Amino acid sequence: MALIALSNISKSYVTGDVTTPVLHGIDLQVQKGDYLAMMGPSGSGKSTLMNLLGLLDRADGGSYHLGGKEVTTLNASQHAEVRNKTIGFVFQSFNLLKRMNVLENVALPLLYAGMGRSNAKLRAQALLDQVGLAALGHRMPNQLSGGQQQRVAIARALVNSPPVLLADEPTGNLDSATTEEVLGVIDLLNREQGLTIIVVTHEIEVARHAKRLVRLKDGRIVFDGAPA
Amino acid sequence: MNFGQILLESFRSLAANRLRTGLTMLGIIIGIASVVLMLAVGDAVRAFINKELAVLGSNQLIVQPGTPTEGGARRRTNDAPTLSIDDAIAISSLPSLRGAAPTLQGFFQVLYGDDNSSSTVLGVTPDMFALRNWKIDRGVPLADADVRSANRVIVIGSNIANKYYYQRDPLGQVLRVDGRPFTVIGVMAGSGRTLDGSDLGELMVVPITAIPVRMPRPRTVHYITAQAKNEALMQEAENDIKELLRDRHHIAGDKLDDFQVTNLASIAATGEAIGAGLSIGLGVVGAISLIVGGIGIMNIMLVSVSERVREIGIRMAIGAKPKHILVQFLSEAVVMCIVGGLIGVALAALGSWGVNSTGKFEMELNASHVMTAVFFSTAVGLFFGYYPARRASRMLPIECLRQD
Repeated sequence: MALIALSNISKSYVTGDVTTPVLHGIDLQVQKGDYLAMMGPSGSGKSTLMNLLGLLDRADGGSYHLGGKEVTTLNASQHAEVRNKTIGFVFQSFNLLKRMNVLENVALPLLYAGMGRSNAKLRAQALLDQVGLAALGHRMPNQLSGGQQQRVAIARALVNSPPVLLADEPTGNLDSATTEEVLGVIDLLNREQGLTIIVVTHEIEVARHAKRLVRLKDGRIVFDGAPA
Repeated sequence: MNFGQILLESFRSLAANRLRTGLTMLGIIIGIASVVLMLAVGDAVRAFINKELAVLGSNQLIVQPGTPTEGGARRRTNDAPTLSIDDAIAISSLPSLRGAAPTLQGFFQVLYGDDNSSSTVLGVTPDMFALRNWKIDRGVPLADADVRSANRVIVIGSNIANKYYYQRDPLGQVLRVDGRPFTVIGVMAGSGRTLDGSDLGELMVVPITAIPVRMPRPRTVHYITAQAKNEALMQEAENDIKELLRDRHHIAGDKLDDFQVTNLASIAATGEAIGAGLSIGLGVVGAISLIVGGIGIMNIMLVSVSERVREIGIRMAIGAKPKHILVQFLSEAVVMCIVGGLIGVALAALGSWGVNSTGKFEMELNASHVMTAVFFSTAVGLFFGYYPARRASRMLPIECLRQD
């Protein structure tokens, strides 16, 4: 059974009297261990789809099975738990909390999961080691480079060992050297830990790291296959 | 997310905006300080009145001659010759009473050496000392024999003793009251004005039989002081006295009394009510400033929520439940209120220290005042912090993340 199964997902945005449809009946299945890149021109709905996959937003219609369970009917608190335990989310703009140091940022999802502070810090330190930032735990986020901040964000996304990592333009704010650095970390997670990864990007070079490419246009999937 | 973590984050985000936090807390500081001060003032007034009543003697009833005031018309009392020593003796044997003592009083020229002044002198029986709680500092009180033999002896207050016999022994000295010589046999302890208007230190007390007062009828007195056995018997004692005197004075049916009984418990109750009223009235002023402070908290929390929408979105994205967000913002409001409340208590303590140092009034803060302050500041934080916190917790993560 597919880890992620979307069926007939639709979403519109309402601005005043104008309703703008963004997604028209999306069907998509993602197997465990898959590495999927999502591309499309701006306005194609790729970010909206990503937000629905990450339970940051609610679909207007259709069903979403995650790990075999329907999640569209869950309440806000249950969605939070899924985001905490099942989905790691990495953003283009890193989204680290600026008043906490790096280690505390990485440990925060564990605290929301109910873990004690000292255990959470130990676990967070292990994740920082894994992304190669073992020595930077006490820095504040704004004292790090963009590539380092994104690696901290990846460590935070993975600290609760979720089976799925969603990355929305993870290298959009990075130069080409640090892009390779961050993609290297993501590739490794897929290859060595079998993590299921979905990356939204507008750069074909980034998409080439994936095993599978999905192209969206005007809210519909227009291509699903191996990246060229 | 445990309690310590929540507190840590609250302090951290409040500390990030020190000026704003301080100004917001100011409302709570002033509100709590005034509530606490007002409670303390009310308590102090009550304590003051109770202390004065204790000096006067407890569970007292005063019986005066004359018809009770009716319809606001004041009638002259004390001089009507309707109460007698025999009334006092009869009253003192009522079962609800511990005792009763008659008093005559007069305003006389008092001479000692070159000193010529006019003072009120009381003529009493020895029972009065117990009823009024008069304590003897030096010498002896009046004795039954002094009353029986109309001995010209006098017990004086401590101020009089100091004035006439500065650094000398007043006992055995002779004062002239209305030209008659009286020998000082005792000096009373204590001084200070009591609620009945007399000053303990200025008292001059002689045997009721020796006071040079001419009453229109023999054996009549100015008033009778009675004491009930205990507080619960005050009303019963008052009724017993009325019944007894109506009977003795042959007042039948619906005719008016020719005496009136004043129940000092009702004066105590009035004092209690004044203290409570003061507490309530001033407490309301404090409560209003607390509400104003609370609105300030709410306002700032709403600003804080809208400024930190992105932070809320990030926290939600990594797994914060609505209740986590609710508790986070609520705890910031409550921490602000409790810290403000404690500062307010400190300010109130400073204020009461200032009042005490003037020496005119005594007040103190006790644990119940502090508990009240902490309770109210927590309540204000919870009440006014809830709406902003709930608003924060109900947002959709993506709406938060889209904002900058």
